[in-house]
Amino acid sequence: MLPFSISFKPGIPPCDQLVDAVRKAVATGDLAHNTLFPSVRVLSRELKISPTTVHKAVSQLKQEGLLLGYPGVGMVVSARKATGLDHRLMLLQPFAETLAREARELNVSGEELMALVQRSLYASGEDGNEKHLAS
Amino acid sequence: MTDPILVENLEKTFGRTKALDGVSFRVSAGSFMGFFGPNGAGKTTTIKALMNLIPHNRGSAQVLGVSSNRLGRAEFRRIGYVSENQDMPLWMTLGQLIQYCRPMYPTWDDGLCESLRETFKLPLNQKLKGFSRGMRMKAALLTSLAYHPEVVVLDEPFSGLDPLSRDQFVEGLMELSGDKSFTLLLSTHDVGEIERLCDAVTFIDHGRVDVSESTDSLLSRFRRVVVQQKAELKCTKLFSTWKAFRQNGERVEFVETQFDEIEALKNRLSHELPGSILKAVEPMSLREVIVQMSQMERGGK
Repeated sequence: MLPFSISFKPGIPPCDQLVDAVRKAVATGDLAHNTLFPSVRVLSRELKISPTTVHKAVSQLKQEGLLLGYPGVGMVVSARKATGLDHRLMLLQPFAETLAREARELNVSGEELMALVQRSLYASGEDGNEKHLAS
Repeated sequence: MTDPILVENLEKTFGRTKALDGVSFRVSAGSFMGFFGPNGAGKTTTIKALMNLIPHNRGSAQVLGVSSNRLGRAEFRRIGYVSENQDMPLWMTLGQLIQYCRPMYPTWDDGLCESLRETFKLPLNQKLKGFSRGMRMKAALLTSLAYHPEVVVLDEPFSGLDPLSRDQFVEGLMELSGDKSFTLLLSTHDVGEIERLCDAVTFIDHGRVDVSESTDSLLSRFRRVVVQQKAELKCTKLFSTWKAFRQNGERVEFVETQFDEIEALKNRLSHELPGSILKAVEPMSLREVIVQMSQMERGGK
């Protein structure tokens, strides 16, 4: 089993989806700093995607500094760059853009949209608290 | 390094029928190529020509740097080939089949063979005659992978397989991707099967290749665009990379075939369709992209 979750959607290059899933898992802490990252071979087998695709995604993650390669050991997660607010906001950016576009299309004002976001935040916040208490 | 599979201007006629009309594509080392097209498009003919099962009329087909009509024992030890309608010695048990194949391949790996058999859940002591279609395909794949082939060619491996068998089949295939990489050519008429598995796709129809490109690049450059437009649309003046126009009142839909950045698209829009409003830019599945491309090809001829 892989230490992070990913569910592939059609229409988006699998390589990009894998990169995004790892970015998110590092930012949320699902992939903790200094832990071992699965090899290209294991990822390819588990996800049933071509090793070439996995290789491409891993190279990009290395370039971004989220993975560090150690000869003889394998790849290790580096969370230094990924847990900062800037990085976490970057992960939310596409959702914010979609939300803004949909709101404009539906003729919802900025104020009304913010109120909706507030309510959603409140609802998910309660959820989060429960989870926190349970653990 | 030469590409493990290289097909150039391949032509094949059966009587008066031109089955292959100049097929060209290449599969680079380690790449997984999905080879698809409708039934009768020329997939099996191409693969048979590649595997030296039928002679071709013109052009060239090479595997592992060797011309297909010169492929011999040395090369076939490095190639794994499974076809939809493979003849199998049905009187043998799986165990006997394994013992029969094993001495032919110096690189045969008993460990891999056993692990594939577990993945496929195949019984050793049952005769192949009693195997279902799916079990026979898996048995054929097992004996074609157990010697670590460098090139794997699968002709319609999924047709007639139930979802569980398909899953096991792919799982077995991925077991081979160990330390050494292998190159895959997999034909299917179902695009959905290969959207994730393959990193490149070749689309063949009427004996010609319409597209041969990496999956990432295809998925990145195709977008369905929806625009709201007040004025009369002048189709003749529109941008060359915009295809498949459809208009319903103020709503205009088209496919951008060279999408790069949203800002670039907006700039083009304001230039080509002044006063229009961009409503949506949506990614397309590989299936939709292929349908679109084959329609473009047909329309263009």
